[in-house]
Formats: sequence, C-alpha cells, structure tokens
Amino acid sequence: MSEKLIYIHPAPVRIWHWIHAAGIVALVLTGFQIRYAEMLGIMPLPDAITLHNYVGFVVIADYFLWLSYYLGTGKIKIYFPDLRTFVPDAIRQAKYYGFGIFKGEPNPHVMTPDNKFNAMQQKAYLGLMFMLLPAQMISGVFLWRVKGYADYVNLLGGIKIIDTIHVILFFFFASFLIAHCYLATLGHTPFAHFKAMFTGYEEHH
Amino acid sequence: MKILKKAPRPFSLCFVFVFWLWPALALAIDNSACLDCHNDEGLTRENTHGGHGNGSLFVDGIKFNHSVHHINGILCVDCHADIEELDFDKDVPHKKELAKVACASCHDAEAVAFTNSVHTKISSKGITMTCYACHDYHYTTHLAAASVADRENNFCAKCHNPYQGHDWLPKKEEHFAFVECTVCHAPEVPRHIHLKFFDLVTNKFYKGEDILKILGIRYDQFMPLVDTNKDGTIGKDEFEIFELMLRQKNVHAIFHAELVAEMAPGAHQVNRGVAERNCEKCHTADSAYFDAVTIVLTKEDGSVDHHQVDRSVLASYSLRHFYIYAGTRVKLLDLIGIILVGGGLCGVLGHLTIRIVTIPLRRKKDN
Ligand code: HEC
Ligand code: HEC
Ligand code: HEC
Ligand code: HEC
Ligand code: HEC
Ligand code: HEC
Ligand code: HEC
Repeated sequence: MSEKLIYIHPAPVRIWHWIHAAGIVALVLTGFQIRYAEMLGIMPLPDAITLHNYVGFVVIADYFLWLSYYLGTGKIKIYFPDLRTFVPDAIRQAKYYGFGIFKGEPNPHVMTPDNKFNAMQQKAYLGLMFMLLPAQMISGVFLWRVKGYADYVNLLGGIKIIDTIHVILFFFFASFLIAHCYLATLGHTPFAHFKAMFTGYEEHH
Repeated sequence: MKILKKAPRPFSLCFVFVFWLWPALALAIDNSACLDCHNDEGLTRENTHGGHGNGSLFVDGIKFNHSVHHINGILCVDCHADIEELDFDKDVPHKKELAKVACASCHDAEAVAFTNSVHTKISSKGITMTCYACHDYHYTTHLAAASVADRENNFCAKCHNPYQGHDWLPKKEEHFAFVECTVCHAPEVPRHIHLKFFDLVTNKFYKGEDILKILGIRYDQFMPLVDTNKDGTIGKDEFEIFELMLRQKNVHAIFHAELVAEMAPGAHQVNRGVAERNCEKCHTADSAYFDAVTIVLTKEDGSVDHHQVDRSVLASYSLRHFYIYAGTRVKLLDLIGIILVGGGLCGVLGHLTIRIVTIPLRRKKDN
C-alpha cells in the first residue's frame, strides 16, 4: 500500500481553523447558557454574556483572517464549485456517503491543495462562510449594542426579529458542529483528518 | 301633618351651613387672591435669603391650574397652611417667612415609606431631602404616564449618574432604557410592563386619545372592543386582532414595552444594598417581573387607563421590539432548535450505526 503525504492545509488555515473551532464551541456552550439560563448551570449569566461577547469578536476577527488569506492567495476559488461538473459530482459524493462508504469503496473525491473540498463540502461551506456566518456575526453585533444600533435594529423589524435570526442560526451551527466532527472521523482512520488539521499533511493511499 | 314633620330638614341643612361650612368657606382664601400678586413675573423677595435661588416669587397661574393638586381642589392655602388671612393693610399681606409646606399631611403613606429610605437616613450627614427635591410642588402632574426615560431624568438622574457604578450589570444602556430605577431599587414596589403605542416614523408616543380617535371610540369602549371574550384580559389572539385593527386604520405603531414601578408609596423605599441584582429574577422564562402586562392609554392630564394583557403576548411576534434573554423567548424557536440539533444528532448516530453494522462487509472485501 503506497502512502504519500500531501501538504493540504497551510499554517494560516490551520491557525484560523482551530481558533474558529474553539470559538464556535465556546459560543455554542455560552449560547445555550444564555438562552436557557434557568435550566443550565454551566456558568452565571453575566459571565456567559461577557464571554459570549468577547469570543464573538474573536471569531469575527478570525473570519477576516480567513477572508484575507483566501482572497490574498486567490485560493478563495476552492469554495466555488465548478458549475459544469457540480451536479454529477455532488450526486457521486452523496452516493458515497450514503452507500459506498459502507461497502468500503474509495472516496470519489481526492484532495489536492487546489481542490480540497468535495462538491458537497463546497456547497455547504460556500453557504456557511459567505451567508450564514456573516449573518450570524452581524446579528450578533446588533444584539451586543441594541441601543447603539437601534436604527438598524428597528429597520430590520426589531430586536426579536434579529434575535430570531441569531437563534435559528445558532441551532444550525450547533447541529453543524455535531455533523462536522462526525464527518471528520470518516478519514482512512477516525483521527486521520484531525491529525492533518494539526500537521497540515493529509495521507493519501 | 306629614308636611309639618318634614319641615325641620331644610332647616337643619341651613344650620349646618351657617355654623359649620360657612366659616370654612370664609377662611379658605381663594387662589385668585394670592395670584393677584404672585402671578406677577416681577415679584421677588426683598432679601434673597439663603437657598432660595433667584428669589422669584412668581407662580404661573395657568400652569398651576393644570396641576394634579388644582384639579383635585387643593388650594394655595391647603399647602401654605399657615396663611390664615390676608391683611392688605401691610406691604406683604401675610408673614414674610412662611412655614415649610408639609406634603406629608396629605401623603402620609408616601411619607412613611420615604422615612424608611436611604434618602431620609442621610439626614444624619446633615443632608435633608424634601419631597420636592424629586417632585414638583406647584406644577405636579400625574406621574403614571411618564416613560422610563422621563421618570429617570425627572427623578433619580437629577442627582445620580447610574453609569458610575453598576459595573456588574452588562448592557447598562439597555437596562436603564427599559427598566425604571425603582423597579430594582425599591423591591417592595409592585411593577408592571407598560405597553405604549410608538410611531417609529415620527419617533413619538401616541396618546391614548389619538388611538381612540383613530378607532372612533371612547375610553370606556376600549375593552369591550378588544377583549372579545370578555374575560377582562386581552389574550394573545385578541391582541393580534387588535394589531390588525390598527393596521387597517393605517396606524403603523409598534408596541413599546417598558418595566416600570406602579404608582404606590413603596416606590420611595429606596435603600442601600437591597436592590435586585439577580439576573435570573428577570431573565428566566417564568419571571414574576412580567406577570402584569398592561396596555396604557394615557390621558391629557397624565393619568392613565391600564388594560390587562396576557403575558404570553410578550413572547409573541406582536412585540418585536422587546426581548429579554431567556425571559420572553419564543417557544416556537425552541421547537425549531430541537428539530435542527436533534436532526443532526440522529443523522450522525444513524450513519454511525450503519457503519458499525457494515464492518463485516468491508472486512470481507479487504480480504
Ligand atoms: C399683596 C400681594 C400679595 C398677596 C395677595 C399674597 N402675597 Fe405672598 N408674598 C408677597 C410678597 C411681597 C412676598 C415676599 C416677602 C419677602 O420679601 O420675603 C410674598 C411671599 C410669599 C411666599 C414666600 C414666603 C417665604 O417664606 O419665603 C409665599 C409662600 C407666599 N407669599 C404665598 C402666598 C399665598 C399662598 C397667598 C394667598 C393666600 C399670598 N402669598 C398672597 C405678596 C403677596
Ligand atoms: C401642593 C402644595 C402647594 C400648593 C397647592 C401651593 N404651593 Fe406654593 N409652595 C409649595 C412648596 C413646597 C413651596 C416651596 C418652598 C421652598 O422652596 O422651600 C412653595 C413655594 C411657594 C412660593 C415661593 C416661591 C417659590 O416658588 O418657591 C410662593 C410665592 C408660593 N408657593 C405661592 C403659592 C400660590 C400663590 C399658590 C396657589 C396658586 C401655591 N403656592 C400653591 C407648595 C404648594
Ligand atoms: C428620591 C426621589 C423622591 C422623593 C424625595 C419623593 N418622591 Fe414621591 N415619588 C418618587 C418616585 C420615583 C415615584 C414613583 C413614580 C415612578 O415610579 O416613576 C413617586 C411617586 C409619588 C406619588 C405617587 C404615587 C402614589 O403613591 O400614589 C406621590 C403621591 C408621591 N410620590 C409623594 C411624595 C411625597 C409626599 C414625598 C415626601 C415625603 C415624596 N414623594 C418624595 C420619587 C420621590
Ligand atoms: C392638602 C392635601 C395635599 C397636600 C398638602 C399635598 N398634596 Fe399632593 N396630592 C393631593 C391630592 C388630593 C392628590 C390627587 C390624588 C390622586 O389623584 O390620586 C395629590 C397628588 C399628588 C401627586 C400625583 C400622584 C399621581 O397620581 O401621580 C404628587 C406627585 C403629589 N401629590 C406630590 C405632593 C407634594 C410633593 C406635596 C408637597 C409639596 C404635596 N403633594 C402636598 C393632596 C395634597
Ligand atoms: C435630590 C438628589 C437625589 C435624588 C433626586 C435621588 N437621590 Fe439617591 N441619594 C442622594 C444622596 C445625597 C444620597 C446619599 C449618598 C451618600 O450617602 O453618599 C443618595 C443615596 C442613594 C442610594 C444609596 C447609595 C449608596 O452609596 O449605596 C441609592 C441606591 C439611591 N440614592 C438611589 C436613588 C434612586 C433610585 C433615586 C430615584 C428614585 C434617587 N436615588 C434619587 C440624592 C438623591
Ligand atoms: C437591574 C437592577 C438595577 C437597575 C435598573 C438600577 N440599579 Fe442602581 N443598583 C443596583 C444594585 C444591585 C446596586 C448595588 C447594591 C445596592 O445599592 O443595592 C445598585 C447601586 C446603585 C447606587 C449606589 C452606588 C453605586 O453607584 O454603585 C446608586 C446611586 C444607584 N444604583 C442608582 C441607580 C439609578 C439612578 C438607576 C436608574 C437610572 C439605577 N440605579 C438602576 C441595581 C439596579
Ligand atoms: C429587573 C429585571 C432585570 C434584571 C434584574 C436584569 N435584567 Fe437584563 N434586561 C432586562 C430588560 C427589561 C432588558 C431589555 C429588553 C429589551 O432590550 O427589549 C434587559 C436586557 C438585557 C440584555 C440585553 C439584550 C437584550 O435583550 O436587549 C442583557 C445582555 C441582559 N439584560 C443581561 C442581564 C444580566 C447579565 C443581568 C444580571 C447581572 C440582568 N440582565 C439583570 C431586565 C432585567
């Protein structure tokens, strides 16, 4: 069996990823504490809110690290699916996750530095990084200074509307976090992808 | 005979009038007698003795006539009770130095509560605070219609800057905008949510009258119109219908919600170290702070009609501009949350199970 190591995740991406990961986990946990203050006792409400605010800004800063790296290097294109092959690719990928993987078939997508996401990942991350995460960041900033941004908040229909967006996306991110961690175990060993996200090298077979 | 028996009654009324009411009427000096001199903007003290500012003795008669005291028939001499008669032979027809007005003689419950507050206790430091350090005296109006901002600016914020301190409280600006100081600082006072009509375009509150005029009804017709099931409370559905009613009349007001103290003597019982600082008192789903919710129809004189609203309205999208973490959360969103997070979890567990079950399959293939 031939094994070769390919350098897929450059250092800035790895740094971005782990800051982001820690941030999202902290935001999800404090988020639950804030919304269900009377049911949970992870930490007192004021601490949860303060932490949630600080971490929120770390994640926003981290987002811009990500954006400037990918824009600066032009690698941003890995997030945009090739429209000519996107549909068959996605179907192939879905079939793999739904059937092939159980039968031990190889992953139809082969990671290369220029094309590290499969079609399904591309679609998911495109929506995530360019729509859902920015929407979450903006609604979060509005909730952070409800009075200060009163004009925008009112324009968008009031604090409860902003809150609704923020909460629905929050549930989505919580759900995504679970799925993401699980999918990461689908490498050739359960920890292969995790290791790669630290070292930068994915093993190819 | 019958006629004769009735005769004493008018006579006794006459008797009462002559011997009892008449002297009282004769003593009660008419306001206009005072205002003859004091409605003159130029009237000042001879010597501006300590603490009386510019020494002006002007009393604005028109403004006084709009005060809650005048409306309730209180005369100048009911407060300036040591003026028993006016002696026009003198320059000043009454004593030059009059006694301090005792608000407590009529407002005894407020005075008792005030006596038990930090603001009276500071007299040991040589500071005496009068009732009118906070309240107006000549131009007092009803207080209930005032917004949180007005209540704070007209009272506590005259002396305290709440932004120095309260460092344990996040979102000070939001709390001070939506929660009246006394709600936290006078824990004895009952409190309720005021729902008022606010126009985002003109940035103004609608007065009760404006709303009633638009609906074409009188004050006493409001509840019969809105509370269709006649249980005395405006339920969630009734509230939505009411909203629709306003929309059909082209009123695009939002409901502005605030947490205010009820008008009760207990508002004066402000003390050191007893204020509410427990977030979970308000920021929980069943907080007692939001039990009483009322629609407020303000009147010209500052008094208000309160109409009870079911608290479930707070957690509905009718109140898009009021939201308290954990406190008024929308239950529908929790359901969406369970579906999203639960769905994700089930998907993962399902996939994992199939992966485990199919291990032999893959092992066979590898061999
Ligand atoms: C003839 C004019 C006149 C009339 C009528 C009059 N006042 Fe005065 N009042 C004065 C003057 C002059 C002073 C200023 C005394 C001084 O220089 O200290 C004064 C002072 C006062 C003061 C301030 C006293 C203090 O302790 O500083 C009060 C209160 C007052 N008047 C209330 C009344 C009331 C109430 C009435 C009606 C019952 C009334 N006045 C009727 C002329 C009048
Ligand atoms: C609700 C009680 C109340 C009523 C009613 C009332 N006063 Fe006064 N008045 C006061 C108080 C309190 C003061 C403040 C005394 C002080 O500053 O020490 C005052 C002060 C005054 C002064 C001194 C100047 C000033 O403004 O401080 C004048 C003059 C006066 N009153 C006249 C009148 C007249 C005339 C009327 C009737 C039109 C009247 N008052 C009705 C409570 C009242
Ligand atoms: C520290 C400021 C302050 C002082 C001093 C003060 N009040 Fe008040 N008063 C308030 C506030 C605040 C309210 C409640 C209105 C509100 O919640 O906005 C109120 C309400 C009232 C009300 C209407 C509510 C009710 O109980 O019917 C009366 C009457 C009243 N005060 C009388 C007095 C009297 C009399 C004194 C002097 C013994 C006094 N106040 C001293 C702040 C003060
Ligand atoms: C002679 C009796 C009397 C005196 C003295 C008196 N008041 Fe009043 N006050 C009344 C009456 C009567 C009302 C109306 C009560 C009502 O409508 O519930 C009233 C109402 C008020 C209100 C309005 C409460 C509300 O409903 O919002 C305030 C504030 C107030 N008084 C403050 C004072 C202050 C401050 C003083 C002293 C400067 C004072 N009063 C002196 C009789 C008096
Ligand atoms: C006329 C000025 C004045 C007004 C109006 C006023 N206060 Fe005060 N307050 C004081 C003074 C003076 C002290 C005493 C400060 C000290 O002892 O250092 C005090 C003390 C306090 C304290 C205790 C402070 C401590 O150090 O723990 C609280 C709480 C308080 N006020 C709340 C309020 C609230 C709430 C209102 C509005 C209903 C209000 N005050 C209105 C002057 C005022
Ligand atoms: C969410 C509840 C809450 C609200 C709203 C609130 N306070 Fe306080 N405040 C507290 C607590 C708790 C303390 C600290 C301990 C104490 O004095 O009881 C405090 C302390 C204070 C003190 C004492 C010393 C200091 O500066 O720390 C003053 C004065 C004061 N508040 C004034 C105000 C005024 C004025 C407002 C309205 C603009 C207000 N507070 C609104 C809860 C509140
Ligand atoms: C007396 C009730 C009360 C207490 C106590 C209280 N809050 Fe609030 N809180 C409110 C209200 C009312 C709002 C404003 C809701 C709005 O903006 O529509 C609010 C707003 C907030 C907000 C801003 C988000 C928003 O919905 O506008 C945060 C964050 C917050 N509170 C946290 C806390 C924390 C932390 C504590 C304890 C240290 C606390 N609160 C204590 C009533 C309270």
